[in-house]
Amino acid sequence: MDRFLHRATDVGGIVLRTAIYLFLALPAIVVICASINPVDFLGFPPQGFTLKWYWAAFDSKPFMDSLSLSTQLALLATVASLIIGTPAAYAIERYRFRGRNALQAFVLSPMIVPAVVLGIGLLQFLVWAGLSQSFAALFLGHIVITMPYVVRTMTASFSLFDRALEQAAMNLRAPPLTVVRRVTLPILLPGLLSASVFAFVTSFGNITVSLFLAHGGRATLPIQIFTYVDYGSDPTLAAVSTLVILVTVALLAVVERVAGLQKVV
Amino acid sequence: MLVPLLTLVRTSLYDSDKSFGGAGWSLRHYVRFLGDGFYLSVLGQTLLYGLIVSVFCVVVGFPLGYSLARMSARGRRWRIPMVILPLTLSLVVNVFGWLIILGRGGLVNKFLLGLGLIDAPVQLLFSSFTVMLVMAQTFLPFMVLSIMSVVAQIDPALEQAAANLRAGRWTTLRRVVLPLAMPGILAGSTLVFILTVSAFITPRLIGGTRVQMLGSMIYEQTLVTLNWPFGGAMSLILLAIVFVFVAGVNRLSRTRFSETRS
Repeated sequence: MDRFLHRATDVGGIVLRTAIYLFLALPAIVVICASINPVDFLGFPPQGFTLKWYWAAFDSKPFMDSLSLSTQLALLATVASLIIGTPAAYAIERYRFRGRNALQAFVLSPMIVPAVVLGIGLLQFLVWAGLSQSFAALFLGHIVITMPYVVRTMTASFSLFDRALEQAAMNLRAPPLTVVRRVTLPILLPGLLSASVFAFVTSFGNITVSLFLAHGGRATLPIQIFTYVDYGSDPTLAAVSTLVILVTVALLAVVERVAGLQKVV
Repeated sequence: MLVPLLTLVRTSLYDSDKSFGGAGWSLRHYVRFLGDGFYLSVLGQTLLYGLIVSVFCVVVGFPLGYSLARMSARGRRWRIPMVILPLTLSLVVNVFGWLIILGRGGLVNKFLLGLGLIDAPVQLLFSSFTVMLVMAQTFLPFMVLSIMSVVAQIDPALEQAAANLRAGRWTTLRRVVLPLAMPGILAGSTLVFILTVSAFITPRLIGGTRVQMLGSMIYEQTLVTLNWPFGGAMSLILLAIVFVFVAGVNRLSRTRFSETRS
């Protein structure tokens, strides 16, 4: 009886966990299926296979414009966040200085401050600074939201970094630049890559802050999708959304291959 | 970060209902919010949803987080990406997926029709239950990851010791694992609570106008009604609630569970 009960909890656990994984992945799966469904309304399961919604999406100027805006924005915000965030993470990890905790809390705070508060605060500040509805507004906002991911990932990277390796290279009379190029950078590369991917994906998919900053101006892809969903939707939207899913999954796969996702989350 | 916040504080104190060219000092936007039964009921509702979603995420997230922590690296390889997908995927795409699932011609309705449980499609959207369900799915990864990292630090030998002492599985779970995992559960709950009470995209798209939450009211005031001072006051009230909650949970975590942390 006891054994049977044991077995039953085991099986129950497997069923429960499978259901939860399905629950997590369900929206993405349904969107992908709807995008290849030839019928004119959003249905599931698909009743055939077609790529026509993708051609419609590629032909749609609003979607393609916002896709290119989102890509540029995410790339620039990622680069800027890396340039600012990496030295900050280095300082936080290696030095003990006055205001270190304050700096750390400050760069990580966008994770705790609700996005809606951040969005409205940035909006009012940028209007006051005369920068609202511009690319600069989105750019600044996206640096703020991607920064925590860069700082967190890079702090972890630096803390695992064994400085003896650099010292060994210097003892072997390697010039400083060679040490950076041949020792420091290769060790930090997986960290840098995961930081960039998380920053990129965060910026690329963000809606909660963008919505406030782009109001009236050019729309990023998530805002465009939001507007279409609000007005009622057609399968073209599913095709565009599938593109977003594919980009996200592909980037996660890159991190998984290079750094191992379980080490960085 | 700090400057936008200060701008927000200043705007919320303007003595006007317009977004631009405000002047003067006044607390009337705070008084308006805190003195009105409607706003307070929305606030109460929002906090209630936050608690329900957090508790749901603990219950659903614990088995997943625990099993991930006790799994080989190979087993985690494909499961971790599945867990973090809703977290990294754009929120609108995720919500759009739910709209297809829950719509009138959607997956759930078709399934129920097929089983003969219902005769006509039922309205699943625009209810607080579905809003909470979708938010739980979106924020669950934070809970799972948080629990996973704590459980990974609990020595499996402790559970074996408990089993050797003839403690049943449930007793071991209740007396050994849960107390040790409590800091992670609290950290995950804090995140889920904050994200839920400040959500506005999900309530708006899934809940429509029927499900009112604080986040969607702030959104309306800021971008539709264009009453920035009032929107600012509401968002600062939200921020204050979040800070009080975080501080409270941190205190609880320090005082009650610090001895269990090695």
